[in-house]
Amino acid sequence: MIKAEHIIKNFGSIKVLKDVSLQINQGEVVVVIGPSGSGKSTFLRCINLLEQPTSGTVMVDEHNMTAMKPKQVTKVREKVGMVFQHFYLFPHKTVLENLIYAPMKVKGLSKDDAVKKAEELLNKVGLLDKKNQYPNKLSGGQKQRVAIARALAMEPDYMLFDEPTSALDPEMVKEVLDVIQSLAESGMTMVIVTHEMGFAKQVANKVVFMDDGRILESNTPEAFFSNPSTERAKDFLEKIL
Amino acid sequence: MEQLISSFKTIAPSIPYIINGIWVTLGIALGAAIIGFVLGTLLSLCKISNVKLLNGLARGYTSIFRGTPLIMQLALAYFAVPQLFGLGDVNATTVAIITFGLNSGAYMSEIIRSGINAVDKGQFEAAGALGVGYWPMMKDIILPQAIKNILPAMMNEFITLTKDSAIVSTIAVTDMMRRSQIVSAQYYTYFPPMFVAFIMYYLVILLLTFIGGRIERRLSRSDQS
Repeated sequence: MIKAEHIIKNFGSIKVLKDVSLQINQGEVVVVIGPSGSGKSTFLRCINLLEQPTSGTVMVDEHNMTAMKPKQVTKVREKVGMVFQHFYLFPHKTVLENLIYAPMKVKGLSKDDAVKKAEELLNKVGLLDKKNQYPNKLSGGQKQRVAIARALAMEPDYMLFDEPTSALDPEMVKEVLDVIQSLAESGMTMVIVTHEMGFAKQVANKVVFMDDGRILESNTPEAFFSNPSTERAKDFLEKIL
Repeated sequence: MEQLISSFKTIAPSIPYIINGIWVTLGIALGAAIIGFVLGTLLSLCKISNVKLLNGLARGYTSIFRGTPLIMQLALAYFAVPQLFGLGDVNATTVAIITFGLNSGAYMSEIIRSGINAVDKGQFEAAGALGVGYWPMMKDIILPQAIKNILPAMMNEFITLTKDSAIVSTIAVTDMMRRSQIVSAQYYTYFPPMFVAFIMYYLVILLLTFIGGRIERRLSRSDQS
């Protein structure tokens, strides 16, 4: 379980998060939506402490992330995979090396075991034939699928997705969403920040609507999309649907 | 012209002696480059660190070594420091390597710092999100990318070191420069020995430039699309 309580985040004088609380239960798929600049990504990044909240607490299982030393945070991050909008594959490593690096270095897996696991995952995302390529030879969609596989190679308990399809060409969005969806179906606990409303509807157990640094609504996708309770959410959905 | 040719003939037996000085020169440059690289890396990490004390120390170090002449630093290290501490005779080549290394570390740290800054911030985040700690992240993810970016600048630094190493002739290290002076004095003819050393320096620098270009191309393999 991930539990964020009263998260406040300021960048200098700019208040990005104004008291955000959210609980993500085991097996739950939470989709966070909202207009640009509403603090969705910042909130997600606070969960694994890529951003240090100005105040508030983040619990991952029994670990209080916000009260930890950097070394301990690093340890907990093994359990929380993250996928970024811009992939951030390691450009000087091949696809396979991207996948086996952290499991070997951080979890101490033998190379054989790491490679076996990596090939399994690459096969799952349909990119086993690209294992010896360098990332810049891949399309955006392929890069993102590799990035997802790389995060999964650590066998995390949670996955965070930060606008995983926002940097992709339209025709590549589906291949990435398919991978995320199959992950959801396998029971992975996930938090997904996205602008893909159709996808959100399909995959979410819970939809969270953020605006101006606050969570305005938190509801089932059915309820949220058919009958949003705030004017702001209504307005937002009208504009994008 | 005839006189010139005959003067070359006169010093001919000493030409190999001069040319072999290049090994001393390159040895000093290489030793100093290794010290400079290690030191420069550590200093650059101090400079980008959040710890104010480390920032200050690294910046002060760089300021001192960049703010004084190398030949002055060398004289201080070879003549003044041993006397101050009563160390007696010190090995000039060792002092030269260390001093050049310390000096180069200051310049190298600026180069490496700029290289690290040029690495996408997302690379730090991706490594962090995978649970990779600070040192392995720097060693395996950040520095390899940084160094690739700054390889031309580092090669320049090495070339500068090779050329500047001629200063060690002032503390009686028999590098190529010193040897050309010795031979000059021996035969009382300046042009031929110095010309030999001059040409040799240039050829070696050309070769280093060429090697640098090759390494750079090889490392950029993963950039090709």
